[in-house]
Amino acid sequence: MEGKTVDRVPTFCAGLEDRTFNEVLGQPLLKSSKLFLNPVAGMICNKWGPKITKPLVQPQISAGMEKRIKAAAELGFDATWALYDETFVILNSKKMARYYGSIFDAIDDGFGNITYMYSGPGITSRDEFEAWPYWPDADEVAQRSYKFYSKIVKKYGEKICLCGQASAYGIQEALLWTIGFEKVPIWVRREKDLVARFIDLAEELCLKTNMAMMDAGIEIILQSDDFAFKTGPMMNPKMINELFGPSYRRLIKAVHDRGGKYILHSCGDNTLLFDMFIDWGVDGLHAYENTSTVDIFNEKKMHGNQATIIGGVGIDYLLTERSKHSEIVDEVKMLIEKLSPGGRFLLGPIHGMSNMPAAKLKTMIDAAHEYGRYKN
Amino acid sequence: MNMVDIKTKKVDQQELLMEKSIQSVITAIDEFDFDNITTIVQNCLDEGIDPLQIIQKGISKGLDIVGEKFDSGEYFLADLVMAGEIVNEVMPLLKENMNPGQSGQKGKIIMATVEGDIHEIGKNIVCMLLDANGYEVIDLGVDVTTEKILEKAKETGAHVIGLSCLLSTTIDGIKNLVESLEKEGIKNEVKVIIGGACTSEGLKTEMGADAYAETAIDAVKIVKNFTESGIAV
Repeated sequence: MEGKTVDRVPTFCAGLEDRTFNEVLGQPLLKSSKLFLNPVAGMICNKWGPKITKPLVQPQISAGMEKRIKAAAELGFDATWALYDETFVILNSKKMARYYGSIFDAIDDGFGNITYMYSGPGITSRDEFEAWPYWPDADEVAQRSYKFYSKIVKKYGEKICLCGQASAYGIQEALLWTIGFEKVPIWVRREKDLVARFIDLAEELCLKTNMAMMDAGIEIILQSDDFAFKTGPMMNPKMINELFGPSYRRLIKAVHDRGGKYILHSCGDNTLLFDMFIDWGVDGLHAYENTSTVDIFNEKKMHGNQATIIGGVGIDYLLTERSKHSEIVDEVKMLIEKLSPGGRFLLGPIHGMSNMPAAKLKTMIDAAHEYGRYKN
Repeated sequence: MNMVDIKTKKVDQQELLMEKSIQSVITAIDEFDFDNITTIVQNCLDEGIDPLQIIQKGISKGLDIVGEKFDSGEYFLADLVMAGEIVNEVMPLLKENMNPGQSGQKGKIIMATVEGDIHEIGKNIVCMLLDANGYEVIDLGVDVTTEKILEKAKETGAHVIGLSCLLSTTIDGIKNLVESLEKEGIKNEVKVIIGGACTSEGLKTEMGADAYAETAIDAVKIVKNFTESGIAV
């Protein structure tokens, strides 16, 4: 991240889902979907969902978050996205709400584990915005984050580089989730005050949790915020800069002031945004989604000495059951050959995904170790 | 000036007025004039302009311009959505004023997000644009089974099926549908277009679909190509 010489190309884990970490750490006696997606649990969630979220459900989620980190270390990754995610409340047996105002479905991931998927906005009008009952208490979330990361740093800090993100999703992405992507352009024009309040609230949560993580010993903050889709930015870059730039500049400065580094994860083709991200102060950028139109090799040429490039390995085919191990090795060799000169490159999956076999990740890591040695 | 000249001049003036009104619809869409689009369209109707003409010459043209600007990088996805929302705002008014059977003349399109996937933003944008372009859109929603899509395709005689797929865990939905269409012997009658984050030209070939749309605008172009060239009608 500092542009200093290292002996080989480091590997980065973009988060492991249940199927993958269970393969690494051993299968649980009872899969989570059996535990939670059954009629009895359903009845309890329907009746007392919000009440049981903190004492019963969130500890389970946190245990899962810790397993992700543990499995990443055991697989041999050098760095991992260390996510802690407790800003939600169970609404009923099938739905949960994020504190920020969006609704997610709890579903089976196809391997017997629970996962959650965005299902829609939780707020569709000014009245609903004012009446939303779950806006986060940033101090409380920060305190819980501090406890989680203190434990994680102690247990895994020497084994793997932890890039923390604590319950605070990207400001722009959270806004899209809360009011629905289709409505954002309209709200930006018609409900300016609410958009500004939302951004302030999200910034406060990000800032307080970032500082809590750093208090706990985390040195690298990783913020996910998908600013782009497959072929380009979601919004006009000028609008992105005006709406979210000031918050990100403050957040990144706060991390830098304490000697930390800041990585931004943004899916899709961010080609038109990279200059802006660098101007905001980011130290590293993750994803470079291979199924998008971004050109990771050109980005290396354009910005390789300003921001560390992280990712590159596809999850659409290579890191699935359908690929051959030799194909992964070939891709890793090619990526290292083209992206490692000059350093500032961490190789890894472009995203987490519930169908990623641990064996394919191991192949990727082994290949990185074999072909990623820097020549003196 | 004789009577014929006067009549011709009147017709010319009327046409000019209509063109001007239609142009204001195009401009309203291109400039995202959410606040005035309803009044503009209502004025067109009051002037006696056929709703279908407003759609074909005004709305479709406006969307084409937004689409071109999106393709050239001048406009972004949010702008495309904004244009779609503006069109959504006035489509009920236009449909209200149409004769029965005027709507959806260009072709029937089934849209669905594959089984196991509940992402819908991309699909909804495509639905919105197809509807605004005069297609009859049958939106089956998200997490749709192959059986349901197949049943609907047979029931409606749809010309095109658009499948959205964001997660690589759910791509079997594409293959299953293509195989089912083949098994039912209707693969040649209905075209399958795929789109979404995990899809690609390679996946299209691997799964046996007919086309891959990288963007919502591409999807509309492909549908137009299939229907206008007679490939899917």
